[in-house]
Amino acid sequence: MKEELYACVHAAEFPAQALLRLRTDLQSEPVAVLEGRAPLETVCALNRAAYQKGAVLGMTRLEAEELAGLRLLARSEENEAAARAVLLECAAQFSPRIEDVSRRTACNCVLDIAGTERLFGPPQRLAERLRAAFAGAGFRVSVAVSANFHAARLKAAATRGVTVIPSGQEAAALGKVPLAVLGLPTEAVETLAIWGIRTLGEMAALPEAELVARLGAQAAEWRDLARGAQPHAFQPIEPEFRLKESCEFETPVEQSDSLLFTGARMIDCLVGRAATRALALASLTVEMELAGGEAYRRAIRPALPSADRKFLLKLLQLEIAAHPPQAEVLSLALTAEAGQTSQMQLGLFAPQVPEPSRLDVTIARLKAIAGEERVGSPALEDTHRPGSFRMESFAVSRQLRGAQSGADECGGADSIRPRMALRRMRPPVPVRVELRDLRPVAFREGGRCFRIAAAYGPWRASGCWWSADGWNVEEWDVLTETNDGSTVAWLLVSERGLKQWQLEAFYD
Amino acid sequence: MTESRSSDEYIELHAASAFSFLAGASQPEALIERAKQLEMPAIALADRNGLYGAARFHTTAKKCGVTARVGAEIAVSSFGSRLAPPEWLPHQFPAEPPRLLLLCASQTGYQNLCQLITRFKMREATKAEGAATLDDLDEFSAGLICLTGGDEGPLAAALAHGGCAAARSVADKLTAIYGRGNVYLELQRHQQREEECRNQAMLELAASLRLPVVATNGVRYATEEEREILDVLTTIRHHTTLDQAGRLLEANSARALRPAREMAALFRDIPEAIANTGIVSQRLEFTLDRLGYEFPRYPVSEGETPEGETMDSFLARRVEEGVRKRYGAGAKRSLLAKAQAQVEHELKLIAKLGFSGYFLIVWEIVRFCQQHGILAQGRGSAANSAVCYALEITAVDPVGMELLFERFLSENRGEWPDIDLDLPSGEQREQVIQHVYERYGQLGAAMTANVISYRGRSAAREVGKALGFDEAQLARLSGLVGHWEWRGENDTMARHFQQAGFDVRHPRIASYLDLCLRMKDLPRHLGQHSGGMVICAGMLNRVVPIERASMAGRSVIQWDKEDCADMGLIKVDLLGLGMMAVLKDSIELIPRHYKKEIDLAALPEDPLVYETLRKADTVGMFQVESRAQMASIPHNAPTRFYDLVVQVAIIRPGPIVGKMMHPYMRRRQGKEEVSYPHPSLEPVLKRTLGVPLFQEQLLRMAMTVASFTGAEAEELRRAVGMRRSMQRMKDLEGRLRAGMVRNGIGPEAQDNIVQGISSFAMYGFPESHAASFALIAYASAYLKVHYLAAFTCGLLNNQPMGFYSPAVLIKDAQRHGLRVRPICVQHSEGQCTLEAEQDGSLALRIGLNYVKGLRQSSAGTLLAERNCHGAFLTVDELARRVPELNRKELVALARIGALNSLGAVEHRRDALWQVEEAGRPAGPLLEDSAASGRQKPAPLKQMTIEERLAADYAGTGITTGPHPMAYEREVLRQQGFLSAQELEGYAGNGRVRVAGRAISRQRPGTAKGFVFLSLEDETGIANIIITPDVFEQNRVIVTRSRFLLVTGKLQNQEGVIHVKAQLLEPFCCTCGQGQS
Repeated sequence: MKEELYACVHAAEFPAQALLRLRTDLQSEPVAVLEGRAPLETVCALNRAAYQKGAVLGMTRLEAEELAGLRLLARSEENEAAARAVLLECAAQFSPRIEDVSRRTACNCVLDIAGTERLFGPPQRLAERLRAAFAGAGFRVSVAVSANFHAARLKAAATRGVTVIPSGQEAAALGKVPLAVLGLPTEAVETLAIWGIRTLGEMAALPEAELVARLGAQAAEWRDLARGAQPHAFQPIEPEFRLKESCEFETPVEQSDSLLFTGARMIDCLVGRAATRALALASLTVEMELAGGEAYRRAIRPALPSADRKFLLKLLQLEIAAHPPQAEVLSLALTAEAGQTSQMQLGLFAPQVPEPSRLDVTIARLKAIAGEERVGSPALEDTHRPGSFRMESFAVSRQLRGAQSGADECGGADSIRPRMALRRMRPPVPVRVELRDLRPVAFREGGRCFRIAAAYGPWRASGCWWSADGWNVEEWDVLTETNDGSTVAWLLVSERGLKQWQLEAFYD
Repeated sequence: MTESRSSDEYIELHAASAFSFLAGASQPEALIERAKQLEMPAIALADRNGLYGAARFHTTAKKCGVTARVGAEIAVSSFGSRLAPPEWLPHQFPAEPPRLLLLCASQTGYQNLCQLITRFKMREATKAEGAATLDDLDEFSAGLICLTGGDEGPLAAALAHGGCAAARSVADKLTAIYGRGNVYLELQRHQQREEECRNQAMLELAASLRLPVVATNGVRYATEEEREILDVLTTIRHHTTLDQAGRLLEANSARALRPAREMAALFRDIPEAIANTGIVSQRLEFTLDRLGYEFPRYPVSEGETPEGETMDSFLARRVEEGVRKRYGAGAKRSLLAKAQAQVEHELKLIAKLGFSGYFLIVWEIVRFCQQHGILAQGRGSAANSAVCYALEITAVDPVGMELLFERFLSENRGEWPDIDLDLPSGEQREQVIQHVYERYGQLGAAMTANVISYRGRSAAREVGKALGFDEAQLARLSGLVGHWEWRGENDTMARHFQQAGFDVRHPRIASYLDLCLRMKDLPRHLGQHSGGMVICAGMLNRVVPIERASMAGRSVIQWDKEDCADMGLIKVDLLGLGMMAVLKDSIELIPRHYKKEIDLAALPEDPLVYETLRKADTVGMFQVESRAQMASIPHNAPTRFYDLVVQVAIIRPGPIVGKMMHPYMRRRQGKEEVSYPHPSLEPVLKRTLGVPLFQEQLLRMAMTVASFTGAEAEELRRAVGMRRSMQRMKDLEGRLRAGMVRNGIGPEAQDNIVQGISSFAMYGFPESHAASFALIAYASAYLKVHYLAAFTCGLLNNQPMGFYSPAVLIKDAQRHGLRVRPICVQHSEGQCTLEAEQDGSLALRIGLNYVKGLRQSSAGTLLAERNCHGAFLTVDELARRVPELNRKELVALARIGALNSLGAVEHRRDALWQVEEAGRPAGPLLEDSAASGRQKPAPLKQMTIEERLAADYAGTGITTGPHPMAYEREVLRQQGFLSAQELEGYAGNGRVRVAGRAISRQRPGTAKGFVFLSLEDETGIANIIITPDVFEQNRVIVTRSRFLLVTGKLQNQEGVIHVKAQLLEPFCCTCGQGQS
């Protein structure tokens, strides 16, 4: 059986370390990192100088600000992700098998270092070289080496510097480590606290059977962890499965056909790679670098994940046609999100609906012509704001149901009753309105003058007074007579307080 | 019916106030003020399902010269659901019944409206909106004019649901109920197309049914700006946010009170709708001036009474008996003649004013208390009355103490007498309240309401929710609103927000701040007053609507105590006083454990009690235990009962702001000569050393120097106190000066007297009230000094009450030599009890009620099992015999050492080890193996002292062991810290250092930003004063740290010792960390 040996690297206060790694100017100053939404931020990480200044984790911004000289920085997840990548890269120099065991605000990784003695020397030396390598990358870490995975992990989290636990000495080495490193459930933590159990050594000393009788079966596992005897199945980090293809052009490309030619190849590759995992493409993001430094980014999201190359290419073509790049293209990248391929079971007697992929293409074509926000199904909003609606994405099934229920109602009295239709004018037409006793008597549109025979109103609506999106309008329904003696009913609107009138609609 | 005076005159007949609870945005007062501005001669208030705002509406209207009409919007379930947007529109309207507008044309109409509301409100099993049925409307229809309501009315709903035919049917039903001339179709124009469509249909209906139409504006707020408040209230009512509320919000701001001109223009095409507002208004002859309230009658015919007995004669006989009992024997015999003369004078006035019934009703309540062993004592100005004393309503002898009856009752005061009874809080008080309900009927007695209004914190929270702030932000925002009594210049809401990192210039935050301020004081809902009961012998539901209170078995009227006073409704306050319950418990414990009987009414004047008071050793004593009382009582140095009366009265915001305290104290200490504004006032002011302290003295001064009658003097006190009418004040001052001239008092002395009266009238305290409280204070002091165990037991069993936590009370009792025993499952009862020690002394055993997390039912089962089958032998047996005890409860008991007396338990952790297994039954299969495992000793170490203390505080909030500071003393002493006791003997006057647990922090409104902190250690309590500057620098430390180190200057003013803090540091007391 192969002898096991692990080295755990523990970078505490990682949010602070990630921020300060490249800020040498701040490294000697007391720094606290805040997380959460303003104004409710709390301190999530500190450097040593900040601890000496009296700062503690969990402090609110207000409390932290009261400590003179303490620098407050905002937590940056992007920064931490980059730092984590650097850390893992650094670890990869020592072993190809790495398991990421990061928790809360610490960054931990365990390296499988069995058999590396010839390359890096005995464990103590390897641990020191590891620590030095990380220090070179700007991280302050502790390193623990043990034949037991968890013993290395727990010891590294609880001690500073380098520790090598001789095989068979795990329990003794962990004896004084605080119980908190186990990360037990709250109820167990409370029970053990009132029992006076504070260290792993005290935990390990409890009789197993009695412990299990009191805290349940998982207590045996905790006890084994405390003794450094818990086995572990190593789960090395796998390379990320990322569907991305990119291409830099030797000469800037102007023609969209050339782009599509390259794009087609890329889609082929992406679909092929996804297919090896029995996946399809759920979305496709097009990114281009344009001459002049501008970036181009569009996303295509078919109704269902698809592995149909032609269909995806058509969507890409329509997207580019609808939003052509505004400059020559220097590079093209396609990133895809994978999704499960799905098949739709059609019922024998169900009404025929358009094939989802064809519908997608049609909608994409319409969007390319009319604009992104102008295609779909209109839905009324719950507001008093006149004419307010939003566009929802077009859904076949719902529309069908609606049509059916509409048909049912056809026999009802309501459907027989004639209804007046309001035809909105988009955009509304600015008009000049003549008022008498605050009532409109005539209006001019372009060169034409309309005398108002009757005016009904004002109808008033206002709302959203609590935001910048507020409205306060006055509406009049007016009747004008045409030369042939017939009447036309109009809807005039003005923003209250402003003297600007608009012809908003007319009644059929 | 008369014609309207002008065709353009418009009277708003349909206005709802904020008393429609979350459906109206203006106070009734604001509506009246706006009506006055608009020169509207009358206006009708119609709140939803109630007359909640009617009283204050009426009172303000009278002041403003506007006529207040009375009405209400009544929900009627028989009409289905009220109008909501059509289903094809997205909206969130819940189904609720339509509401009719009923206006009171006559007193009968008002009484019917009250009865109608009471009927459907009381039909509900709990506090609820409720709704009337057509049968209810039919039964109580006389004297009411019915308007069909606007959007929320039944006609609008019927038109939408069933068209003209349904609307016609509704109109027919209403006409059948109210009569053809009393139903008006209501037209409202809020500039909405749909509404206008309905209006046209209504006009057609009106023409075909020949019913009159009337215009209203369905007012929901006084001015257009308040529409924003209504929108916020709407979101609160529907538990949503402004962004999500959609059509629930107002469509525009048209529901404000509009000027007649504007309404006339709106209804230009239907002038009769405007004209009819005036006609209807004139038909509404009823105002709240003619409420029809009759004084409660006491049934004198009960039992054996002589023929022709009246309430007056019955009262006179009861008083005569009382006088004989009170003054007939003993030391007070000499006062008998004087007392008889006094009660004769009082009875004459009582009979003249027709108040005998009221006195008898209160007497009956007191008699009920006596029969059921419930302590009851009248407080307030009633203690000025010898009749009250004779009836045993009060315990202070007004004849012996020369109290002034006119402060209680005077002929032309136009106000009912007000008697407040203090009762032991808790079950016994509830017993008395239920007795009153039983005796006078559910419709004859009810609690007065207490209007719960938006305060800074609640407004901040609700507005934050409406604006869509998340829970964490809300907690933070509402937490910013300070809770100190004193507010500095910097303690504005805007400043707090800035400090918390909000940009107050941001539109959303700015509108948040603005809304918070505007929401303040708006009514939120109706609660019940702590003890005020209105009694009206069977007819109360004709005077004011009654509804269910949220507490089972209670009903509440729709007006609060101020409204009752304004409307002349008489109430009896049945107030719960924790100390009364303590006294009651003590006098029950004393005979059992000390083998002595105690009569609270005949406690001796005991020098030892006064000595204790002089030392400010007053923790737990009624009224004299606060920090300010402790600081002043050594200066006052009481030696007799009257000194205590002064002491109770003087440490109040009034006397302190009125600057009476210091002159009195200086004279008391002989540092200032006793002088009088005029020699004739010496008898009046002698006992308060020439400093007027009590309201009764003001009355006597006016009576002495200007020969005022008692009634005139009382009128003067009220005029000065209220500062309402300058003219009235001037007249009275003129009369006062004229009187003084007649009595030969010179101009200079006159000025002094007038000045004296003006300055203290605002702040004076009723002497009778102080005397009543002083009686209880003395009783509590007496019991604490002589029966410490019983008194402490009573205090601990009636928490929360008073100024100090149980932890402080126990430490204080221990310092006074009481042995306090810990909680034990073998010995503790549900509450704290007394146990005899082997040496014959008494010890206090803490009860199971102090175990945090132990359910009352589990404790009850444990006690029942123990009493029935004897003590528990082991932890296992306890768990088996009391299966209600769950694992957490067993852990809670083990942790505080309550299981230490069980067999095979060596220490707390041993018990904890055992309960963890006992709390998780192994099941029948493994029971044997589990039992064998239990024989092994626990592998856990015994708790250290620090751990035990922490477990005590965490598990019970108290400890019976040494004070946490005792364990730190040695180290602290080495660092130069003094104990509280050492401070007293400290000779120097320089810097000292003290440490202790912060047991109270106060920032009184009268102390200009100073903070008073009490630090407790194992020897006593050290008083710390923190200046505003030092507080600002150490705000977090002062408010958050449980243990503090204080460095400062020692101040010793005639035995009152303070440390004026210069440096404050948090102290990490390892033993007290678990303390809550």
